[in-house]
Amino acid sequence: MPIQINKSLIGREYPPYAVTVERGKIKEFARALGDANSLYLDDRVGAASGWGDIIAPPTFSVTFRDETADTAAFLRELGTDISRVLHGEQEFELFRPLQPGRTYLCRAKVVDIYEKTGRSGPMAFVVRETSIADGSNEIVATMRGVTVVRL
Amino acid sequence: MKYGKVYFDDVKVGDELPPLVKGPIQQIQLTRYAGASGDFNPIHQDDEFARAAGMGAVFAHGMLSMGFVGQAVTDWSGAGTVRKLGVRFAALVRLKDVVTCRGRVVGKSSKDDVHLVELEVWAENQRAEKVVTGRATVALPVRS
Repeated sequence: MPIQINKSLIGREYPPYAVTVERGKIKEFARALGDANSLYLDDRVGAASGWGDIIAPPTFSVTFRDETADTAAFLRELGTDISRVLHGEQEFELFRPLQPGRTYLCRAKVVDIYEKTGRSGPMAFVVRETSIADGSNEIVATMRGVTVVRL
Repeated sequence: MKYGKVYFDDVKVGDELPPLVKGPIQQIQLTRYAGASGDFNPIHQDDEFARAAGMGAVFAHGMLSMGFVGQAVTDWSGAGTVRKLGVRFAALVRLKDVVTCRGRVVGKSSKDDVHLVELEVWAENQRAEKVVTGRATVALPVRS
């Protein structure tokens, strides 16, 4: 009997959360990828660049989590747990690179949940979108992620 | 310096990005990526957990492979040029896998002084199986 996914979460918006980007966190992230680009790692190169400081790699905003939110609770509410989920798709749109010392406001929403049967059996797809705004409330990036739940 | 500057004027549809080879993937890199990204799903760290979950053994975070693809793009186009990067995770990356990221120019457009290059991007393992497939858009400078 496959598990039931709670589709009533479609449309759910989560309370906005602020993230302040730490300089060391950008470097740690670039190094974890093995990306030695000096615009991510070298403060002097960043300062001398058109951006005025180091910038973050394009996928960095995946680290923007609501520290007060309980991921396990979200999965429970969805009707699953962490052992059944896979990352299906991910997209970033960037209007400006993210930079250290700035505080961004993130707004996340569940935009869709649908089911499909693939080669490995029935699966549910949970689509979430997050917008990232800077201090002047301008959207600087958006992310869209699809989580696959093995039913 | 491996970060070459590429101008919009010099890019042609069909151009290929220099391949970026990553790996062989080691557990320590998955642990490091977990710390850097905040994704501590034990499925990427703990074989016993991964087996119990029906996944056979640990596998890499999809976002690690996506990060590699992002690097393949920015090694070519420059850091800070990516406007869009979207991928589908097509197959799991396992320990010891070698991931090669590739890309190809599929379109060019200019509007209001913004010059965009559209790329098809993907990553494949040592058996030439695609593990990530997607699209990227970069904004490039023009020669003055």
